[in-house]
Amino acid sequence: MHDTSQVDAVSDKLDFSLWTRVFRHALPYRRHLITLAVAAVVIAFCDASFALLTRWAMDEVVATGKNTDFRLIAGAYFAMITTFSLSVWIFINAAGTLSHNMSHDIREECFRRIQELEFAYFDHRPTGWLISRLTSDCDKLGRIIAWGSLDLIWSSCLVSTIAIVLVVLHPTLGLLVLSVVPALIWISLIFQRKLLVSSRETRRFNSMITASFAEALQGLRTTKSLVREEANLREFQRLSSQMYDVSLLNAMQSAVYIPLVLTLGSVAAGLALWYGGGSVLAQTLTLGTLVAFIFYAGQFFHPVHQMAQTLIQMQGAQAAGERVLSLLATQPGICDSDDVRERLAAYTAAPSPELAPDGHEPDIQSLTFEHVDFAYTADKPVLRDFNLHVQAGQTIALVGASGGGKSTIVNLAARFYEPTAGRILVNGRDLRERGLLWYQSNLGIVLQGPHLFSGTIRDNIRYGRLDATDEEIEAAARSVNADEFIRALEHGYETEVGEGGNALSTGQKQLVSFARALLANPRIFIMDEATSSIDTETEQLIQRGLQAIFRGRISFVIAHRLSTIRRADRILVIEKGRILESGTHAELMAARSHYHALYTRQFESERTEAILESENAPPVAVATATA
Amino acid sequence: MGSTTSPSPSALPESKAEAAKPTPFALLWQLTQGYRGLYAVSIAALLVSTAVTYIGPLIVGAVIDSVLAGKAPAADSLAGYVIAWLGGVDYIRANLWWPPVVCVALTMIAGVFSYLKGRYAALASDGIALRIKDLLYDHLQRLPARFHDKAETGDLIQRCTSDVETLRTAISTQVVEISNATLLLLTALPVMLLLDVRMTGISLVLIVPLMLFGTFYFAWVRDLFLEVDKAEGQVTRLVQENLTGLRVVRAFSRQNYEMEKFAGPNKLYRDRSIRLLRLMAWYWSVSDFVSLLQNGLVLFAGVWFIAEGTLTTGMLFTFLIFLNMVLWPVRQMGRTLTELGKCSVALVRMGEILSEPRESAPKPTAEGNTLPDFRGAIEVRDLAFAHNPAAEHAALNGISFSVQPGQTLAILGPSGAGKSTIMHLLVRLYDYTGGSIRLDGRELNTLDRQWVRAQFSVVMQEPFLYSKTIAENISLGHGASVAEAAIQEAARAADIHETISGFPASYATPVGERGVTLSGGQRQRVALARALLRDTPVLLLDDAMSAVDAETEGNILRALRSRHGRRTTLVIAHRLSTLAHADRVIVLEHGRIIQEGTHAELLAAEGLYRRLWEIQNAVEREEGAAGDAGDGAQAGAQATAPMECLEVGR
Repeated sequence: MHDTSQVDAVSDKLDFSLWTRVFRHALPYRRHLITLAVAAVVIAFCDASFALLTRWAMDEVVATGKNTDFRLIAGAYFAMITTFSLSVWIFINAAGTLSHNMSHDIREECFRRIQELEFAYFDHRPTGWLISRLTSDCDKLGRIIAWGSLDLIWSSCLVSTIAIVLVVLHPTLGLLVLSVVPALIWISLIFQRKLLVSSRETRRFNSMITASFAEALQGLRTTKSLVREEANLREFQRLSSQMYDVSLLNAMQSAVYIPLVLTLGSVAAGLALWYGGGSVLAQTLTLGTLVAFIFYAGQFFHPVHQMAQTLIQMQGAQAAGERVLSLLATQPGICDSDDVRERLAAYTAAPSPELAPDGHEPDIQSLTFEHVDFAYTADKPVLRDFNLHVQAGQTIALVGASGGGKSTIVNLAARFYEPTAGRILVNGRDLRERGLLWYQSNLGIVLQGPHLFSGTIRDNIRYGRLDATDEEIEAAARSVNADEFIRALEHGYETEVGEGGNALSTGQKQLVSFARALLANPRIFIMDEATSSIDTETEQLIQRGLQAIFRGRISFVIAHRLSTIRRADRILVIEKGRILESGTHAELMAARSHYHALYTRQFESERTEAILESENAPPVAVATATA
Repeated sequence: MGSTTSPSPSALPESKAEAAKPTPFALLWQLTQGYRGLYAVSIAALLVSTAVTYIGPLIVGAVIDSVLAGKAPAADSLAGYVIAWLGGVDYIRANLWWPPVVCVALTMIAGVFSYLKGRYAALASDGIALRIKDLLYDHLQRLPARFHDKAETGDLIQRCTSDVETLRTAISTQVVEISNATLLLLTALPVMLLLDVRMTGISLVLIVPLMLFGTFYFAWVRDLFLEVDKAEGQVTRLVQENLTGLRVVRAFSRQNYEMEKFAGPNKLYRDRSIRLLRLMAWYWSVSDFVSLLQNGLVLFAGVWFIAEGTLTTGMLFTFLIFLNMVLWPVRQMGRTLTELGKCSVALVRMGEILSEPRESAPKPTAEGNTLPDFRGAIEVRDLAFAHNPAAEHAALNGISFSVQPGQTLAILGPSGAGKSTIMHLLVRLYDYTGGSIRLDGRELNTLDRQWVRAQFSVVMQEPFLYSKTIAENISLGHGASVAEAAIQEAARAADIHETISGFPASYATPVGERGVTLSGGQRQRVALARALLRDTPVLLLDDAMSAVDAETEGNILRALRSRHGRRTTLVIAHRLSTLAHADRVIVLEHGRIIQEGTHAELLAAEGLYRRLWEIQNAVEREEGAAGDAGDGAQAGAQATAPMECLEVGR
């Protein structure tokens, strides 16, 4: 479901300004950051001191033999390993806290931003894409900042400490051993990049293979009836062998990388043994120091490897960082103007029951579209010079071909989008002068695919008005005829509806969403194809409740069920963004034009459906007509 | 490393895949067939590389002692052999570059073998993963429709992807890691014992507790890992729910409420992750401490023995290096063993799929399992079918009809009457439980399934399109490569050419997420074009134009009749325009035929067919009653007038 085919590029250099911006999110956890840095430095020093302690012990015993007093060295060693283990404990705690707090915060901010952004933002961003931003991307950023800075501090500290110690102990030998380090860094960087790229490729193929399995299972009957098993398998094999190739490549890269750096390490140790051995023979170096040098030579590999890995991962995560930060930086296109915000603030300071929170009249009496143009993308206008005036108490039915602009009209009425030209007036005042939240809290919307949240039926109805009592919830359910089916369920109103409400049938979900909309007591009621995906029986139940909902409100109904359309005060036939015909059912039927044709065809299909659904029941309309 | 090296999935004999449910390791044994050699090479390479790795520290230690510290080792000790092998103390002293060169060369040799180990382990494990994926894919496609009716897609996908991945990591890294750790211990032990028994004992004091600690610790925190996963899943689900319910959230201005709702799981995820890390902090710090303590024991015992004069500096060096080589893999072992436990679960889950029997093949007969000159005659007698043998109601019962080559039979009936089941039985997606179906006189179940399916073209109500281009979707049923013109001709006949031409990339436009989203009617027409291009003796239309408007359907039917008069057609439809042109109509209800005849015969009789036919008149009459004008007199004339093409959103 997540965007499967996209692979982030691993950029060539570190984008410092980006990481600085990401880093800002770590600032509230400065304390952990500092703890972490201190622990990293301490650990680096401990790491570096092992060889020194070994040297000390060895040299001491060579010098003093049986009289050596080991207590001091052993005490130092014990103190060192205790400090080391303690620091490990501390840094894991600090890094864990920092990393997860950071991703928690970024995730919360992203979620908040998503609540604020206008619909247009979501039109071209699939749900799966956004989910990845809020889950894996946020985790990635937290992880890189916490563990990445730990690794960078630790490794750079360790490498430089060892370097200093080596040079101090024996400058020539030190420089000789250190000469390997640049090559080590270079090889590590190259291979880490290769490994990152190939492991991402592997993941990409893996998700393509997952998609391929899904397709095979969903299209099984089609595949069988087209006798395409062989062809499908061949295509799949092409994919799976490509995955085999990249996965193998990844394995080969690490199979080469590790021996390569180990060989470099042995070169360093060899140099120490050769040159250092000479110095020992010449008595300019103690045995203990030589041993320490050999140990150090082998110790470079780990921090350098870690540093390279972190740097490359940061380069690889830049795309993720960019996406998250740009989501956070996106300003909502539809929001309250400064003027409205001032009014909202003024109201909060001095609330008045007679006024809406934005300081204007609280009731919605009329809604007017004035020369409204709209386009989702600049080159494809959807509405052109659209005009409409609706009074409270009126029901407007919108009919016509799909893609004609019906849903756009209600989306504009709900201020989910804003007109590209012209304006929408509420009580004669521009909609943009009113508070967005106030206005939208006056809406009641029922959509074609009813969406419920996981939770109980009661929770879902209460979504319409959070402070509603249980009685009010049940009353709302009764008015839309949902009460009966809910009570028939084993747990009644406490029934869990499951993810997306899928434990209920579509019709039942729709009844619940009607109850939810009614409970909100909206001033503007919108039904967008709300009855098209439900069975006739449920439709009749809803139909009976609808009149109660429409009373006294401004209602927009997009439907093709005749029963819903016929009772509207005004029917608009919309085509290509314009009103083709407008009037009552009787007027439009008499006109014998577009609506008439539409109605006739719909009648036929509804009747056919009714007959086929209950083939034993007498065909009512026909019976009365022929009587 | 081209795909030519990848073996074919049929390398595993089919009979084995269909054998009775194997135990996980029997299955693994089967799957590794042909790869065991590679795996053996990998382990052998590991052995060599490990063995060679030990020589380096030995040399360094011996050189330190005998050359640098001037304590010549006993000639029969290991160090003595090493020195002798390198040319003796004097030679080394004069050529100090020589031991380092040998060491570097040895590391390189070990490196080469370590590369070989990685290479062959990867070749084996990726090869096995490739084989099992191909095998699963092939097997799933060949399982009967009955299996897929019950199976859950998400679960199957998981078995085919993440379970395979679990297996792959197990055999490519975990098994190798464990072998590595074991080999290191086993080979180090004799060498260390040869060098110094006391030191060996001291080196091992804490290693065993360390190993046990790791094993138990990871077994203990495994549940917590699962809990973190669960919390993450909850966050994902909430985000998804919020995004899919975006309109509802906005419609009720519940943004703040949603924020509050999100805060809980988000916090839970964070807290559980931190808790897990806190536990890991204990694990790592304790095991670090124990490892360092072990190191300290060896160091101080070593210097003590040196002081006593019973150990040399070089020996101590060798022991310290050996210890470091062994400690890390041993520490990891606990974790690896826990991970490995998942592998047998994965194997069982894959085995379950592979042990399901495939679609059966018919018994070979003397006249063969195909009909060389199939003309398209279908004869059905007393056909019976039940989806579930124990079911009370058979899906079909006592169905009889016959269709002559080139004729059209229409099937009408309410949903659930068994109309689609007839189609499914004809293409052998299911096997009928009673009665007979004959094609040109031959019993259907003596014919090869694939041959049968190649004779029929089915268009379903909700057709499936592959995520390929439109052109590919139309041509992929055809087998051979198809000329562009033929594809376009089929698309024209299905009345979809204009629509396709309007897409940005025309016929090359991909279908699905990365291309266009087609409406139900468009999908049906693309599927129809696909069926037409196949040009099979029989065409089955299973409510295939339900989402296409009446006029378009009329065009398509006309095109069908004019293009291919000879094709036998079975059509399920509700529209009278479709039904009226059939040679014969059968009306189905509850799995039985309740009416049968030609259009004229059925119109003359009382029943479902006539009721549907009367609807058009009823529209006009009801309208006369409802409308103000009351011009019912013209109703008859209006009813048959062609309607304008104004598509109703469905």
